[in-house]
Amino acid sequence: MNTPEFQGTHLFDRLCWAKENLEAYQSDYRVVYEDSIDECAKILVPDPNWMAAALQGGILPPVWVYHELAKDEAQPDFVKHTRGHLLHNTKPVEAMTEEQAIEYLIMKDCPQHVWRNWDEGNKPKMVICRKEQLPGTREWRNAWKITEELSVTDLAA
Amino acid sequence: MALGKIKADTLEHSTAGSLDTQYVVNGSAKAYAERTVDATPATTSSLNVASLTDTGTGDTGYNLTSAMNDDDGPVAGTNSNTATDQGMLGRFETASQMRSQTRDSSGNLVDKRVSVIGFGDLA
Repeated sequence: MNTPEFQGTHLFDRLCWAKENLEAYQSDYRVVYEDSIDECAKILVPDPNWMAAALQGGILPPVWVYHELAKDEAQPDFVKHTRGHLLHNTKPVEAMTEEQAIEYLIMKDCPQHVWRNWDEGNKPKMVICRKEQLPGTREWRNAWKITEELSVTDLAA
Repeated sequence: MALGKIKADTLEHSTAGSLDTQYVVNGSAKAYAERTVDATPATTSSLNVASLTDTGTGDTGYNLTSAMNDDDGPVAGTNSNTATDQGMLGRFETASQMRSQTRDSSGNLVDKRVSVIGFGDLA
């Protein structure tokens, strides 16, 4: 199915179109990250409807749009968004592979200080893995950490 | 966009009165999601959710695709065991993330199947 020309259409309306017309896709990829040494590891799980939109192309805005909105929201005098039009009027991104979609999602939904410096320090702050590589139960969930045995060099190899 | 459109500011019933369509637009849910209770939870049914962040036991973030105008809107929801637990606490963490927490009858965070719905104005 071809994606309609969506530039200028409200992003929410595009998502409604995608939900009605695309088959949801549950990725097996998970992103494990630590954004504070005092907290347990967090796990980012892609949404099946969002993943379908990413794989389809022509629906989602470029990721820099989210960074601009995040910058606005970080201002101390922020009250409400005034640049939401960027979501709707910026040319949508083309179809992504599943791996590209995960990279996009990391840049959208993980804190920037994590993904920009994921390989700095004694151990990686972020790992992309498969669902089956995570613990099979929720026991001691609040103690989950990225193992210190995982080196950045091994990950890059 | 080649989609059909009906434009109307008011809906009028033959006897029951009329309704401004802005109430329909403004009063509709802008995002919803259902979170499973698996070892690594995932969203099942959803709208306007890009991903889920499992931040720990009983604590989940739902990252929006189309952000809200602000983080002031209400977030409502249920968990799978409202009989003995404290239900679900929901709120907008930011304009682009809903958050849910579920607790047992003692107030401890506990994992449950959760459904959340977010209202407000979209950016």
